[in-house]
Amino acid sequence: MQEILQYLFSGITNGAIYAVIAIGFSMLYNSTELINFAHGEFVMLGALCMVTFFGALHLPLVVALVASIVCIAATGLVFERLAIRPVRHPEPIVLIIITVGASIFLRGIGMIIWGKDAHTIPSFSAHPPLDIAGAKLLSQSIWIIIILLATIIGLQLFYKKTLTGKAMEANAISKRAAWIVGIPSKMMIMLAFGLSTAIGGLAGVIIAPVTMSSYDMGTMLGLKGFCAAMLGGLGSLWGALLGGFLLGILEALGVGFVSSGLKDATAFLLLLFILYVKPGGIISAASAKRF
Amino acid sequence: MNAPLKKIPTDTPLLEIDSVSKAFGGVQALSDISFSLMPKTITGLIGPNGAGKTTLFNLISGIFAPDSGDIRYNSRSTRKIKSFQLVKQGIARTFQNVELFETMTVLENILVGHHAQTRSGMWGSMIRFPWVLAEEQRAREIAMTLLDFVGLSDHAHAISGDLPFGWQRLVEIARALASRPRLLLLDEPAAGLNIVETLQLGDLIRKIRDQGITVLLVEHDMSLTMEISDWIVVLDQGKKISQGTPRAVQADEAVIAAYLGTGKKDES
Amino acid sequence: MIINSQNTRNRIAYAVFLLVIVVSGYFLENLYYLQLLTFIGINTLLALALNMLMGYAGQISLGHAAFYGIGAYGTAILTVHCHFSPWLALPAAIAVAMAVAYIVGIPTLKLSGYYLGMGTLGFGMIIHILFREWSSITGGASGFIGIPPLELGPVSFASGRNYFFLVWGCVLISFIACQRIIDSRIGRALRAIHDGENAAAAVGVNTRALKLQVFVLSAAISALAGFLYAHLVFFISPGTFSFIASIRMVTMVVIGGMASVWGALLGASLLTLLPEWLHAFSEFEMVVYGLILMLVMIFLPRGLFRGLLDIYERTLKKNTH
Repeated sequence: MQEILQYLFSGITNGAIYAVIAIGFSMLYNSTELINFAHGEFVMLGALCMVTFFGALHLPLVVALVASIVCIAATGLVFERLAIRPVRHPEPIVLIIITVGASIFLRGIGMIIWGKDAHTIPSFSAHPPLDIAGAKLLSQSIWIIIILLATIIGLQLFYKKTLTGKAMEANAISKRAAWIVGIPSKMMIMLAFGLSTAIGGLAGVIIAPVTMSSYDMGTMLGLKGFCAAMLGGLGSLWGALLGGFLLGILEALGVGFVSSGLKDATAFLLLLFILYVKPGGIISAASAKRF
Repeated sequence: MNAPLKKIPTDTPLLEIDSVSKAFGGVQALSDISFSLMPKTITGLIGPNGAGKTTLFNLISGIFAPDSGDIRYNSRSTRKIKSFQLVKQGIARTFQNVELFETMTVLENILVGHHAQTRSGMWGSMIRFPWVLAEEQRAREIAMTLLDFVGLSDHAHAISGDLPFGWQRLVEIARALASRPRLLLLDEPAAGLNIVETLQLGDLIRKIRDQGITVLLVEHDMSLTMEISDWIVVLDQGKKISQGTPRAVQADEAVIAAYLGTGKKDES
Repeated sequence: MIINSQNTRNRIAYAVFLLVIVVSGYFLENLYYLQLLTFIGINTLLALALNMLMGYAGQISLGHAAFYGIGAYGTAILTVHCHFSPWLALPAAIAVAMAVAYIVGIPTLKLSGYYLGMGTLGFGMIIHILFREWSSITGGASGFIGIPPLELGPVSFASGRNYFFLVWGCVLISFIACQRIIDSRIGRALRAIHDGENAAAAVGVNTRALKLQVFVLSAAISALAGFLYAHLVFFISPGTFSFIASIRMVTMVVIGGMASVWGALLGASLLTLLPEWLHAFSEFEMVVYGLILMLVMIFLPRGLFRGLLDIYERTLKKNTH
């Protein structure tokens, strides 16, 4: 029982991280119908920025967090402007290769700046782990879940309450119609990129204390976040959330009760399963509410 | 083209539409439609926009299955047959918006149309058995004959996407004929054509019928349809409201009310 | 007739190709270059395999390294653990790859666009994880050592020169076989699927069966490349068959140029040589590699082969005006 609870805790923590990454994927796909294969690299950059700002420079938590996210969002905007916007025929295959090229590029940048070593930073707060029925819940796990919830509430408010958010949603539903009523589509795409990469960076920021951060951590995280997004339903916020937790928990249980070698395979087995059974995901975006 | 068609008695219908209904979501696209196509005739299917003509076409060519009712081709239900298999059995079609394989040449398009009539596979092509080469040679001859038939043999090696629209239509018809159909479904073949091209098209469709091919024609161009069809079926809002010879249909009150009476301005 | 002139041009191209292989095989003294060319040959096979699927049939695969790996691990396991002759292991490994492609292809090829990309990606990752984790059979993350060299009677392929001829012989045969398929009714139907899958089905092409066939063919050629790789380097590890390797294959196809066997050759050559040239950049290697990928795709999305041809034609037009 205690064991199951422990696995569950670690599953929920990982699940929350996958959910944050999946939200980034999903919201970009929703706005631009593009899958950013470099998304995982933005997560990596977020974690490594945090290593510098929080770990090395000892900036206050909030300052370090904001500074990291701003850096990542800026990188995302530059990426959109220089590598995505100039593409004249945005076919999936071309965009896949460009974003893969970007992921290699960013990994290279990460290696040059932070070297090949893995880095760790302390938890956001020095609280001892909570003891629940004999299982330990790290304080960072609570931070992660709180930040996930804050992200979701923030996004909901942004989409429902602000004019920009509504314009973005309109643009996602129909570019043409949005254009007719005067919504600048290019601007919206750029904003979507900025937001999506910022959320990716945020995912990196919150996992930096619970993992070894290094330049090559992004690929696997990105792919798993992607699996989570597909599992829940690409393009749906609640789908990303559901997919993230489902993946995190099943992965943790798989590691606990079957084999640790299975850890990485879980995500992809689930991905294939959902693609074969219900390609739209558990909450398929067509029927579910979008963001 | 000149292959011996199997003898079918001319007094039994080639295709029977038997009380077919089809709904999409809440919209009843077709309700309880019945009519049949006699061999070696041209049947015109007309009706205002949204009458369900294209839906009916897609049912006949096996893209959807009817919700209820049955479609029998050569007295056999087509319900379980996939669209590519129907082609092999002799039902060919063209599309309203011309769907050629745009990066391929005209000749190659026709050859793909002949695909169902040939059988050499991957191994055969790799090793190039003599019979594979012979089959390819025959296919090319047939394709060239068809291009001659529609008057485009000079453009066999042009990229089909580069041709003017009217010619693309002809390529599409030739491509459909390349499967050696017994039943040819033409979905608005005159759309986008000028008057001269439309007249030529009418002649071409007649020539196709004279070769023993049954034609079902969906068309907005009234004069063309009335002129070349042997039989007319009129749909309105998913229901059959009339059928008969062109002359009889033109005199039918229901048709005039539903269609001709509303000003005939329905061309889009 | 255009067809005949095209045939003649093809014949000439293949004759020149053969000549280049023979001449470079006999006269190249530097063993390093010989080995580099051998690697190019193996990568050309991979690019060709994926080009049949992507360039002609228009079906993307982001997990093709799996079939490459099945070929390599297949022969490694059969020759070392089961003491098979490599020449028996070759058809066995290819058969396994084809069978896997068939089984995986049935559900996967129903998908399209990004979803197909993801399905193949997931499959590739699972196979990669299998290589890494099933250590009792595959040697796990540290790799598989002791794969025997190839011999055929008195001829040993341990020497760089013989292996070079073996690999390029395979490339030549595969090129001709694929070219013949492309020129046949099957190839036409594949390109028809690429241009419009629904229209292809409507004119009588069994699209599902054909996509599956070309997927299986592509897996077979990839497995052949895996076999050649394993017996060239005698040591394989899971990293060679990772997601990155799959992406590299896609890149070779796209950079070289889709729907062209010569594009496969060009793409494979460039992507094999590029890391060699980039060694000079040492730690900037990845950055430059990523940058090149992005730049080519942004400015020459139809690949270098077509792209440079387009630029050439455009300047020609400008000058005549």
